[in-house]
Amino acid sequence: MSTKELVSTIEIPATASKQDELYQEAAATYGAALERLARAYEADADLRRDLLQDIHVELWRSFQTFDGRCSMRTWIYRVAHNVAASHVIRQRRTRTDTLVGLEELENLPADASPEAADRSHTLDRLLRLIQQLKPLDRHVILSYLEGLDAAAIGEITGLSATNVATKVHRIKNLLARWFQQGGKSND
Amino acid sequence: MTEILDNTVQELWQSQLVEMTKMSVEELRRRARKFERKIRWRNIREYAASLIVAGLMGYFYISAHDLASRVTFALFIAAMLWIVIALHRMGSVRRTPLDVDTLTTQQFYRAELGRQLAVVKNVWWWYLAPMVPGCIACTVTYVMRPHHPGPWAGLLFMNALFFVSFYAVWKLNARAARCLERMINDLNATAQ
Repeated sequence: MSTKELVSTIEIPATASKQDELYQEAAATYGAALERLARAYEADADLRRDLLQDIHVELWRSFQTFDGRCSMRTWIYRVAHNVAASHVIRQRRTRTDTLVGLEELENLPADASPEAADRSHTLDRLLRLIQQLKPLDRHVILSYLEGLDAAAIGEITGLSATNVATKVHRIKNLLARWFQQGGKSND
Repeated sequence: MTEILDNTVQELWQSQLVEMTKMSVEELRRRARKFERKIRWRNIREYAASLIVAGLMGYFYISAHDLASRVTFALFIAAMLWIVIALHRMGSVRRTPLDVDTLTTQQFYRAELGRQLAVVKNVWWWYLAPMVPGCIACTVTYVMRPHHPGPWAGLLFMNALFFVSFYAVWKLNARAARCLERMINDLNATAQ
C-alpha cells in the first residue's frame, strides 16, 4: 500500500476509542518491528523493557493528535525513533562517547571468527554493530533492515534523499564486507 | 549480488524472535498516569527543596537582628525564587519530550540536544550568578560582625566553600555542555 493510500484510509481520531483502535492496529502491525527497534537501541534487558513500554505509551498517547497528514507507518516509526533517541540522550554520560558513525565503522576490521557461521551469533553481531552507531545512522540502518525505501526513510528522519541514498549505499557496502568476511555461511 | 545481500540481511533481521509485548489500553493508561505522577512528584521535590531552603532563609531573615544579615538572607531567598522560576521556564524537569510525534528524527534530536545544552551552558546565569549577591553580602556581613572569632580564617573558609561549590557546579555543567556540543556537531556532520 502506498503512502498516499495509507493517508487516505486513516481517519482522524475523534474519541478515545478511536485513539485506542489506532494504537491496537499499530501494535498488531508494527509490534515486532518496535521490539526489534528497542533491541537495537538498548542492550540491557531491563532498560530495554522500559524503553519498549515507553514507546508503546508514547505511541498510544500520540494517536490522540494523529491527523493523517503522514502515513501511519511514518508516524509510528517517527514516534518510536524519537522516544529511543531521547533514551540515548538520557544515557549519554555512560555510552555516547563510544558511539561511532557509519564512516568510522566502515574502517574497522571485520571480525571473521568461525562462530559467525551460526545464525543467532550472526544476529548478535549485527545487533552489536547497530548498537555502536550514533542515533541518526542507527535510525537509517534499522529502517533499511525493516525494508523501508529511501523516500520513507527521508520522510521519517528529515534527511535529504541524497543523504539517505549515500548512507544506505554505505550500509550495504559495510554489510557486504561484513557478511563476506564474517558471516558468509550463515544461510 | 546486492539484492541477495538485501534479502539475506533483511530476512535475518526481520526473522529474529521477539516476545511480541502487548499492552492493553488499561495498562497504557495506568502507565501514562504513573509517568505523570512521577513527573509531578519530581517537580514537587524540586520545588519543595527550593522552598525549604527559602523557608530556612526566611526564618533566619526574621530572627536576624541586624540589617546586613537581613539583606543577605533576602538576597538568598530571591536567588532561590529566581532558580525555581528558571527551572520551571526551561522545563528541565519534564520527562517526556514535547513534539515526539510531529518532528522528524533529525529535528527532534537537534531540539532535545539544544534544549539540554541551553540548560547546562547557561548554568552561570540561571543558577550560579543569582547566588553571588547573597555570597558577597554574606562575606560583608561576616566582616562587619563586631565580635567574630578568628575573622580571616573563617572568612577564608567561607569563601573557599563558595568558590569550590561554584567551581564544581560550573565544571560539571561545562563537561556536560562539551558532550552535548559534540553530539550536536556529530548530528550536523551526519545530516550533511
